[in-house]
Amino acid sequence: MAWTWFHKYGSPPHFYRLAGRWLPWLSWGAALAIAAGLIGGLGLAPPDYQQGDGFRIIYVHAPAAWLSTMVYTVMAVSAAVGLIWRMGVAHAVSASCAPIGASFTAVALLTGMLWGRPMWGTYWEWDPRLTSELLLLFLYLGYLGLRNAIDDTARADRACAVLAIVGVVNVPIIHYSVIWWNSLHQAPSVMKFGRASMPASMLVPLLLMLLGFTLCFGALLLVRARGEVLRRERNARWIAEVLA
Amino acid sequence: MSHWLQMGGYARFLWPSYGITFLVVALNIWWARRSAREARALARRRIANAASRSTT
Amino acid sequence: MNVRPDVRSTPWRAARVLAARDLHLALRRPGEWLLPLGFFLVVTTLFPLSLNPELSRLRDVAAGALWVAALLSSLLALELLFRDDSQDGSLEQLAICGQPFAWLLSAKAAVHWLLTGLPLVLVAPLAAIALGAPYASLPGVLVALALGSVSLSLIGAVGAGLTFGLRRGGALLAMIVLPLAVPVLIFGARATELAIKGEVATAPLYLLGAMAVLAATLAPLAAAAAVRVSLE
Repeated sequence: MAWTWFHKYGSPPHFYRLAGRWLPWLSWGAALAIAAGLIGGLGLAPPDYQQGDGFRIIYVHAPAAWLSTMVYTVMAVSAAVGLIWRMGVAHAVSASCAPIGASFTAVALLTGMLWGRPMWGTYWEWDPRLTSELLLLFLYLGYLGLRNAIDDTARADRACAVLAIVGVVNVPIIHYSVIWWNSLHQAPSVMKFGRASMPASMLVPLLLMLLGFTLCFGALLLVRARGEVLRRERNARWIAEVLA
Repeated sequence: MSHWLQMGGYARFLWPSYGITFLVVALNIWWARRSAREARALARRRIANAASRSTT
Repeated sequence: MNVRPDVRSTPWRAARVLAARDLHLALRRPGEWLLPLGFFLVVTTLFPLSLNPELSRLRDVAAGALWVAALLSSLLALELLFRDDSQDGSLEQLAICGQPFAWLLSAKAAVHWLLTGLPLVLVAPLAAIALGAPYASLPGVLVALALGSVSLSLIGAVGAGLTFGLRRGGALLAMIVLPLAVPVLIFGARATELAIKGEVATAPLYLLGAMAVLAATLAPLAAAAAVRVSLE
């Protein structure tokens, strides 16, 4: 029973139509959640005891950082599905993830730097969070470079799938190596913002922003993935119907 | 209102952060839609080619 | 030179045949294989030239310099792993000959390490001394680089499998392999640094060993998948 569901999603026309139906829900949900999060984060949440109003950068930095790793995981999992079950739709999803993930990783880095400047005094510190984000950006760039270098779509899909899987296995290893490395040397004050210690007025907008950005990623993913599915589809009949 | 815009003196860092974030969101939206549009155009062209080939 | 390990022989025999053949072919053109070594020495030399040549000051950066030079030269050496075999069709033969492909690639990677990694490890003490490392630190330097170079060879094999035959493959290989090699770099440089300072380096060395074992088990499988994709 479960497998028929699985293979149904793998069917390109079905995915195309389903994605089209979900798109407005994801888009509006994202817009609402982000709007609510902004009102809460920029207006209702009180200033922080230590960082004053500067802490409010967390409301864009944390979602960007969350997206950077979550998107890589989605990219790797869908790549694995595509590789194992030879599902074109899965490869289309995986290919769609990379540009989105890379751009939000860059945002996480830039907002991290802008947050660091008033807090540490410099725009850049080799602290574990920023260093991990930088390495993640390099992983994305390698993936995009590989995809760019291979002309045949099917071969590019499979090569990038191998790379994504190898990368996702390495991400925790890299992450913990960097934390360990950083603990040996001067550890500048990290952006420690324990969720447990946050009052609700600060936490709720953060959760709303995380939700909103996740839904936003979902919408962007579906828009791209529908296009990628079209690019990979050889059988024209359902496409003609759908595009008419 | 201007007090809120000041953000306790952190405005220099805070507003550019928000600006960059939402700029990238907007760019992603534009880029995704453009990619999908190109894919649709490509598909239409492929269908047209196939149709013209089968009728000749 | 075509190779076709008999499908009826055991994987171990097939791997030995392949390894012997690879070694034989490589030794016909030793110059090619010595080039990465030369590159390692050149890069090492660049550090005192670009920083302070005082040995006591160089000692502080010696570990990092050695590892960066080793990493870059191993990238250069990786181009040799699949180049010849992909060009003359032997790689495809290996993929379809019926023996476990990952096992055959392990044999290739092992020979590659013997020809590029091991010489680097043996030459590294000279470079270390040139960068101000004390003689007592050399065993530690050797062990750290030996363990690290194994991991680098294996991780690099996956990258090489994905990029051989692509235009700008070399730059792409670097972009792919270097982030994945960061953990090895972190622990390897740390172990080397501790050795140079005369302190105990067992913790990072154990981790380096663990990474080498992990790489030896998983990398051949990933490399086999990568090469199969590239052969299509």
